[in-house]
Amino acid sequence: MAKKPHTTITHPHYACSIGAAYTVSAIPGAIPIINCGPGCVDQQYFTMSFCNGFQGSVGAGGGDIPGTNSGENEIVFGGAKKLDGVIKSALKIMKGELFVVLSGCSPQLVGDDVASVIKPYREQGYPIVHAEVPGFKGNNLWGHEEVVLAIIDQFVGETKGVHRRRKLINLWMGAPYFNTFWRGDIIEIKRILEAAGFEVNVFFGSESAGVDEWKSIPKAAFNLVLSPWLNLRVAKHLEEKYDQPYLHIPVLPVGEEATTAFLRQVVEFAGIDNTKAEKFIEKESKRYYYFFDHFADFFAEYWFGFPSQFAIVGDAAYNIALSKFLADQIGLIPVGQIISDNTPVKYREEVAALYDELSEGVYGNVEFIEDGYLIEHKISEYDFGSSTPLILGSSWEQDVAKEKNAVLVEVGTIATEEVVLNRTYIGYTGALQFIEKVYSAAVSG
Amino acid sequence: MAKNIQLDLETVENREMRLGSIISWDGKASELVELSRYEERALRHKGCPGAGKNGEGCRLCELNMPFNQQSMCANSIAACQAGNIRDCVLIQHSPVGCTARNPEFNLAFRNGLERRGIEPRNINIMTTNLLENDMVFGASEKLKKAAREAFERYNPKAIFFSMSCSTAIIGEDLSSIASEMEDELGIPVAPMQCEGFRSKHWSTGFDISQHAVLRHIVNKHPKKQPDLINIVALWGTDYFTDMLKPLGLRVNYIMDIASFDELAQTSEAACTSTFCHTLGSYFATALEEVYGVPQVRAPQPYGFAGTDAWLRAIAKQVGKEKEAEEFIAAEHERVKPKIEELREKLKGVNGFVLTGSSYAHGLISVLRDLGVTVDGSVVFHHDPVYDGGYEEQNTLKTLVDNYGDILHFTVGKCQPFQLPALLSRVKADFIIIRHNGLAPNAARMGIPSFAIGDEHFPVGYDGLIRVGEAVLEVLARKKMNQVLRRHVELPYSDWWLSQKDPFILAKHPEILDEEAEEGQE
Repeated sequence: MAKKPHTTITHPHYACSIGAAYTVSAIPGAIPIINCGPGCVDQQYFTMSFCNGFQGSVGAGGGDIPGTNSGENEIVFGGAKKLDGVIKSALKIMKGELFVVLSGCSPQLVGDDVASVIKPYREQGYPIVHAEVPGFKGNNLWGHEEVVLAIIDQFVGETKGVHRRRKLINLWMGAPYFNTFWRGDIIEIKRILEAAGFEVNVFFGSESAGVDEWKSIPKAAFNLVLSPWLNLRVAKHLEEKYDQPYLHIPVLPVGEEATTAFLRQVVEFAGIDNTKAEKFIEKESKRYYYFFDHFADFFAEYWFGFPSQFAIVGDAAYNIALSKFLADQIGLIPVGQIISDNTPVKYREEVAALYDELSEGVYGNVEFIEDGYLIEHKISEYDFGSSTPLILGSSWEQDVAKEKNAVLVEVGTIATEEVVLNRTYIGYTGALQFIEKVYSAAVSG
Repeated sequence: MAKNIQLDLETVENREMRLGSIISWDGKASELVELSRYEERALRHKGCPGAGKNGEGCRLCELNMPFNQQSMCANSIAACQAGNIRDCVLIQHSPVGCTARNPEFNLAFRNGLERRGIEPRNINIMTTNLLENDMVFGASEKLKKAAREAFERYNPKAIFFSMSCSTAIIGEDLSSIASEMEDELGIPVAPMQCEGFRSKHWSTGFDISQHAVLRHIVNKHPKKQPDLINIVALWGTDYFTDMLKPLGLRVNYIMDIASFDELAQTSEAACTSTFCHTLGSYFATALEEVYGVPQVRAPQPYGFAGTDAWLRAIAKQVGKEKEAEEFIAAEHERVKPKIEELREKLKGVNGFVLTGSSYAHGLISVLRDLGVTVDGSVVFHHDPVYDGGYEEQNTLKTLVDNYGDILHFTVGKCQPFQLPALLSRVKADFIIIRHNGLAPNAARMGIPSFAIGDEHFPVGYDGLIRVGEAVLEVLARKKMNQVLRRHVELPYSDWWLSQKDPFILAKHPEILDEEAEEGQE
């Protein structure tokens, strides 16, 4: 694939790499320390959390994140001294078991030697690591991988003769907070895997055992990358570092058929006995169709119309997962799919191929666009036929949705018309919640 | 009198240099009034030696803390100002992250449009989306391309450029590019040197964006509109018309939600005022000095005393003294029974105010008029003087003179880690707050927050009623906060939570070395 041309961006659908502070913040017991200008991580909070389902924060997120607030003095004379003061006090003031320094644009451009600021603390045994994540190097997804790799290399460290646990999986899904539904998604996938007999390191959120879980990364039988491209870099690194294999499942499972296939694939890859898994599948399927069956009444005989054709804008993970579910399991007609997460060029061909057949005889029309102006322009040109269009997207698509007289359901960054807590649109439970959400929106107003 | 506002200069001096602003202080409000030496420092008296120039000699003492938490920057403020003009476009010359707060400004913009009776729509702020190569080779061409794109896509009346930390460090020349594009596109192109590291307080960003509007948009050949009054505002509801229409005045809000023409005509107005001198003083003073548009020499319109004085000052300006007196008398009569009722209900209630500087002074007046006890407040910075520099605008002094001292008056730039110690010194049944980061921790400590999104809410006589009623509703939320308090924790160490003095580290930085090992337990 050719090198992509540079674009200006209106209405960005992602944060910059300093947004990866929220990757740290999502680890129970971990504290990000921001080494850059006075407004950087505060800005990212709005794209990552507040204006993304009003997720909020626990632990060291939101206003609690320590930072250098580097000023003119640090630009002219270097920021090492100020950073040292912030680290020294953060270690004492914040309740943390792992401290991650994230360096942004300014220290990188003025050439601060952050490693030597941190070195004495590391030598004294403080659990502190450093990631260089200047915003001009990448977005929050790139930053997420950088931070995860920094923790693996500088905190988890080298291991020799570690005992692998056959049923322990390291689960790598979307980036915390950036994925609006990450908390619910982790709960659902962990629930499914545990029911089949696995133990799961989830690393982030309510179900994570925190930094201890990170320490146990090398003990896992394999890494499960459940995303189109994000975290592949992490899995490949772990393969090299610990000779740990990985299983890449690019499409998040949504609905009974996809979720059952997903679970069987993982069980088969792990080579564990499938009795538990099959029993669980039977139970889950029964429940799922109990509700799906109820939904049939509405779907079959609602007089007043609802959307038949849909477009979607969002990160690669949700984009393909929801497109597949709607096209394959509900029978909505896909009009266009816009991936807005700046998927690295080297993965684009592979990701685009996932849309080749969304369902039997149903083909995708996928494009990678980051500039919101062009995205909205593209949607505006879509022909949705004569019924009410369904647009799955973000708050940035509000205006074009209005122009097209469409139903807009926010399914990713930015989401300011949703308050999201423990919600998921994936797996068995998530698919039903997704149906509820889409059709509640369709019948309201 | 010598002119102090220098619109011929590319940019405005930082607040800490121009006004002696500070971001870290703790004491009694009356002490801060004393130390501020407002009158001596006033630029219209040429400032006290050093204050306006090198900051030497009479800089207010600050408590330098080794620990910081993050809040806003000047770049972000410039975006929430110049990026929220209806028919202009802001281009942020930056990596994508400097635009990450824009979704919130979009919420504010959409709400603001609705409040002013205009169809809500999204803001159009562009970023040049700079990458690593741009840091090495420069990005001027990308900025020019962005300007042409903005022109083509949005047909703006003017374009703003904003500087970020990275583009400032690599030495992008916003001004030359702006004048080049101005010639090419035939519309004003206004550069803003608002890189985040430039000033220690974000409010310098207000001045920078106002400076850009004054230089590039304001009509340089004004035709007077004697019934027009400028109100420097944010996105607030149009409560000012209710108060100013009886004086025969039309309100011209600047800068959020305004149109290019509304900004241009500010030089034609009869006078200028604001809901907050922290925000509005630079703009008002510039219009006064450069275009002879007088600024209202009065306290801010909060509480009975402030609102009375504000209305009288405006009336004097436009020759409507009689109308004003009638209006004031009628309004007092109208709101009195309701306010008596609220005072009764709010008896024994304690409040705590955390907002931008002079806005807090106004809010405390409102709360005290309602009979709410306020023994503590955090202002996010303190300007010892405003650009206007008129005695009547000394808001902190007005507060202390009219309503008495505030025992625990703290200057702090949104530092949530200090909140436990700050709130342990006073009784607080609720907090009133603007800006993010602090209220969630108050919530976890069992204290509900009244987050004032509509900054005009407390203005005027009706503002007293609005605030009183809102406080009663907020107090009810304490139930939720008590649940939180019973079940969740703050992310701070027990050692820190046991500290009584929020500024202990500034006074005794050696404490960090002494107990370094214990912190590791």
